[in-house]
Parts: sequence; C-alpha cells; structure tokens
Amino acid sequence: MSNTIHIQIDRADGSLQRLIGLVERRGFHIDGMALADEGAFRRIALTVRGRDSGRCMDNLGRQIDRLFGVRRISNDIIQSEAA
Amino acid sequence: MILMTAAAFKPSAETAPQSGARLLVSTLERLGVEVVFGYPGGAIMPVYDALAGSKLKHILVRHEQGAAFSADAYARKSGKVGVCMATSGPGATNLVTGIANAMMDSVPIVCITGNVAQGLMGTDAFQEIDILGVTLPIVKHSILVRSAAEVPAAIEEAFHIARSGRPGPVLVDLPKDVQFETTADDYGFSIPNEAPRVDHDAIAAAEAAIRAAKKPLVYIGGGVKIGGATGALRAFVAATGIPQVSTLNALGTIPTDAPGMLGMLGMHGTRAANHAVQDSDLLIVVGARFDDRATGKLAEFAPNARIVHFDIDASEVGKLRSANVAVVGELREGVEALTARMRSGAALNIQAWADDCAGAAKAGAHRYDAPGEGVYAPALLKEISEAAGDDFIAACDVGQHQMWAAMHCRFAKPEAHITSGGLGAMGFGLPAGIGAKLADPSATVVTIAGDGGFMMNIQELATLKRYGIPLKIVLIDNSSLGLVRQWQELFFAENYSEIDLSDNPDFVKVAEAFGIEAFRIDRRDQVSDGIQRLLAADGPCLAHVVIDPRDNVWPLVPPGKSNAEMMEGS
Ligand SMILES: Cc1ncc(C[n+]2csc(CCOP(=O)(O)OP(=O)(O)O)c2C)c(N)n1
Repeated sequence: MSNTIHIQIDRADGSLQRLIGLVERRGFHIDGMALADEGAFRRIALTVRGRDSGRCMDNLGRQIDRLFGVRRISNDIIQSEAA
Repeated sequence: MILMTAAAFKPSAETAPQSGARLLVSTLERLGVEVVFGYPGGAIMPVYDALAGSKLKHILVRHEQGAAFSADAYARKSGKVGVCMATSGPGATNLVTGIANAMMDSVPIVCITGNVAQGLMGTDAFQEIDILGVTLPIVKHSILVRSAAEVPAAIEEAFHIARSGRPGPVLVDLPKDVQFETTADDYGFSIPNEAPRVDHDAIAAAEAAIRAAKKPLVYIGGGVKIGGATGALRAFVAATGIPQVSTLNALGTIPTDAPGMLGMLGMHGTRAANHAVQDSDLLIVVGARFDDRATGKLAEFAPNARIVHFDIDASEVGKLRSANVAVVGELREGVEALTARMRSGAALNIQAWADDCAGAAKAGAHRYDAPGEGVYAPALLKEISEAAGDDFIAACDVGQHQMWAAMHCRFAKPEAHITSGGLGAMGFGLPAGIGAKLADPSATVVTIAGDGGFMMNIQELATLKRYGIPLKIVLIDNSSLGLVRQWQELFFAENYSEIDLSDNPDFVKVAEAFGIEAFRIDRRDQVSDGIQRLLAADGPCLAHVVIDPRDNVWPLVPPGKSNAEMMEGS
C-alpha cells in the first residue's frame, strides 16, 4: 500500500537529497514525487511504499520530521506515539 | 509532535570587516571552544592562517580519522561539543568513519571541512569531493556556507543542532572563497525552541504499568548519560528497587558494583542480565534503541514483557519494538517525574524478584582463577580499573579486549567507559584516549586496545609525544584479530582465514621509537607490578600485554539467536 506524504522543506543545499536519501535508506520505495517551489521553501508530495511489511509509515514520518529544514509534514502520517 | 523550525537569522550590529576564516575562529572562541583537533591542507589554509594567535588550542593529529575520534571522546568526557577540522577531498573523507561513529552513538561534534571555491564546485577540481553529499546519511545535519557573513550563524547553528535534543554530528563545509571573503556583516542566530515536553499522562501510564508488574526491569541505554539523566535514573532506581541491565554504551550509569545492577545485556552480556530480560514482565527502557547486539533475535527478546519506553527521539520509539507506554522528551524530566510519582505512592512489592535477580548475579559471577601462567586478560583489566579507582576512564578499541573491559572493569561513572558502541570502529581507542585525557587532565585515562585496532591509528602515538599527553595504554596482544578468530572458531568450522597477526612489530620498540615509555608483560606474576608502573608513569606509557591467542570471550549469545541461548566456554 502506498501513502502520499506532503512536506514543506527549506531550499537549502542538499535538502532534496537528504529527504530522498532518508526515505530510501529507511526501506521505502518512492513511487511518485511532485515538487513545487514556494520562495525559500519547496513543497513536495512523495508517494511511498514500504519495501517489506516491517516498514512502518508512522516511523518514516517521525524520521522525516526530525530532518532539519523540514517545516511541515502532513499530519496524517505522524500519529500519536502511544500504542 | 514537534515540527522542526529552521534557524531564524537576524542581522546584528555592524563590525569591522573580517575574513570568513577569521570569523570562524572568533565564533569558535566566543562559543567557548578550547580544543580543536585537525589537520591542514590547501582548501582550509585561510582557517589555519587565522588560527595563529587565537585562544583555541589546536591539536595536530596525524590522520584526520584521529581528529574525529578524539573530538568524539572529548565530547563524551567533557559534555561539550567536540570540534575537528580537515581540508577538502581526502582530508574530509578521512573524517567519515569518525562522523559515522558520532552519529551512531549520538555524540555532539562539529566537523569543519574546507572545500574548493564555489566557482569550482561541481567541476571535479583538484581535491574536490562533495563531502556534504558523502556524509548526508551519517550526520544529524550539514551546512554549506555560501558567504562569509553567514559563517558565525552557521557555526552557532551547528553547535546548537549538535547538542540539542538527541545529539549528533554536524558538518560545516566552508568553500575557500568564503574563507577569504571579508565582510562587516554578521548574521546573529536565534535559537529555535524545540525540546519536546514530557507528557504527564504518559508518566501516569508508566507508573500504572510499573505498579501492575511483578518482574519490572530497567534497561539503561547510552541516552541516559547523553541526556544528563544519570542522577535522575540513580534516584529512580534507589526509590523503587527495580533491578537494572545496561547496554554497552551505558556502562557506569549505575556503578558496576551497585546492588541491583545485573551488568550488560546482549551478545556478551552477563547471564544474570540476559535471564532477567527474558524473564521480566515489564521493561522500562530509558534512552536505548534495541540494538541487535543488545537484543539478540528480536522476535524472542523479552517475550513476556510490556514496554515502557523513554526517549528524546520520537523516531526511536516503536522503531523495532512497539511500546505500550511511550514517554517522548527530555529523559531527565521524564525520569524525575516518574520518580516523584513512585515516591508518593506505596513501595513496590518486588522483593522476591529483586532477590531472584541478585541471586542469579551472585551465582553467575565470573571467576578470575583461570589455570596457567599466562596473563588472563579479564583479571588484568579488573585489577587495573580497581587500582585506578573512581577516576578511571577506559577508552576502548574494538574486539575481544573491548568486551573483556566492558565485562570486567569497574566503572563508577558513565563517562568512565568510552567506546565505539554503535559503529564498532577499530582504531578508536588511541585517539579516543587522547580526546578524553584532554577533556579531563586529572582523570586516569587508559586506552585498552587490541593489536589489530591499535595498528589502525598507531600514528597518534606521535600526537601523544608532541603534546606530552600522559595517556596510559594497555595493548592486549593476541597476535590475531581475536574477535574474528573467535567467530571463525565457533561459527566457521575453525577456518582461520586472514586473522593471523603473528608478524606484529615489537610494540615496545615502536612506542619507544615515538619517544614513549613502554614495557612488556607476558606472565601473570608481572601483572601487578606492571599495573603499578603504568599508573605511576609521569608521561604517556604503554604496557604491551601478551596473551594466549586462543583465549575467548565468554559467555556469548550466537548471532541470530535469542538471549536465552548463551554459550559458555570450556
Ligand atoms: C574498522 C574496522 N574493521 C574491521 C572490523 C571488524 N572487526 C571487529 S573485531 C575485529 C578484530 C579485532 O582485533 P584486535 O584489534 O586485535 O582485538 P582483539 O579482538 O584481538 O582483542 C575486527 C577485524 C571493525 N570492527 N572495524
């Protein structure tokens, strides 16, 4: 199952590489990507799918969220921590 | 959930024009940096030029990997941010292992690299490497500085990011034109507020889980010391009497010999610790990340336990094992809040469990009366840590000696044990000893290394000599890559492939060639005198300890097996 994550990120050197690298390294395929500039920021819609069933979308959301330069990430990805 | 906000920059008062390189040095001074580890080269020459006359003490290492490892250990011991620098290209790539090491163990370091001028970037210029790209997966953050005016803010931001929240390495890449450029502008840095607040409902849920448990156990990770929560955790343990186990990186958080401390868990953990984990019905995980060396086969790890997980990094909670109760935020705040709640209620009724654990620890205690005349490394390491007392700090390399040190040394404080836990990087021990000793000149810092790892950064003996750093080195020489040899013996049908180091140089002569006092210990009856000599030496000193290559580390959980399946040596 794929999910689309909406992210607003600074237009800093390496920011795109940082984001895409993280998603791939954490075990997700990128099925689609849309990108639009918004002045100092970029708005990105990433459609991603876990490489195997052990990959948790929530966790990916938290990992993206802790990247510096990420301003906003769609809330439906990050759910509450308590299980 | 906290959304990170990038630094907000604001212009500050005008100052006299300065070069980017000079601004770098003055910003480091302003931030209170005292020691910088580095190695010069073409693309960072303006910075080295600006160092002359500054308040910074620059330690010229002999390999950039040494600079990164030293900065890492300096940070672990001092609690400050470690700083290292290198030139572009090969200088920068030589830092990579050290950066990864700091990332894996959440150590705050700032690495400054020179780079070719911006006009040349992307042209495969001489010594050009996209070090920002190379290091992206192993840094907490990185910054490419585009103008001299941005230098102070970039450095301040790097320091802030390195030490805030879950600490980690930050790389600042400075193109050469930026170092030369002069500017009167200086963009101040305003610190973003991002510390997650501990959720008190979660604390209440943690309390309820603990009160409902019959066999609770504290699983202590390296995050406790990093988060300055050692005192808080000690108070929690004293208030509740819950037994504890520790990861490799958390050794010393609770003193090794404290009652209730069952020792290290995992692959080379103690029997008592691993059994307690497997038996427990509630694990209170504090600042640990369920590393596979600690958990063994994850699916069978602590099969009956509910999990209460404290971590500052939300992305660690539930990463490998889902938590029944998650407390995300500053560890100290969380643990203190929980302790207050535990104190205000009834005492826990877990005496039978605590007695069980203590009994298992006593029954499983290691014996040091090994047969033979040869040096028994566990006994030697135990003796040296006891002789050095509470000021003992071990900077360990990677291998069997590292596991023996973890299992048999006495650690009174969490900073007493400095090791490459997450990355397991051979070569760490010697430069780490240098960093730790510079951070705390009064401590008795002992590098514990194997013959293989010692050779990986042996050139740093020159650094010891030059600065007269009175580091003590215990070189445990088994003429082989011992830990690999042990695995080959146990899991590869004794096919000893490429682990023989029997043509090692004479390490005493090598040390003496660097101008360092050294002597050899190859019999058990020389150990006590040798330890006295080493500890009493005024300057740097190396004890070359020869042991039997067949000595193995026990107990051991075979790779991929559950922690319940410990192997014992004959
Ligand atoms: C840089 C690096 N290369 C390879 C390894 C794999 N490795 C782990 S332990 C070990 C053997 C270490 O031998 P030595 O330093 O002599 O210590 P001993 O195990 O004999 O105590 C090796 C090769 C590693 N951890 N780090």
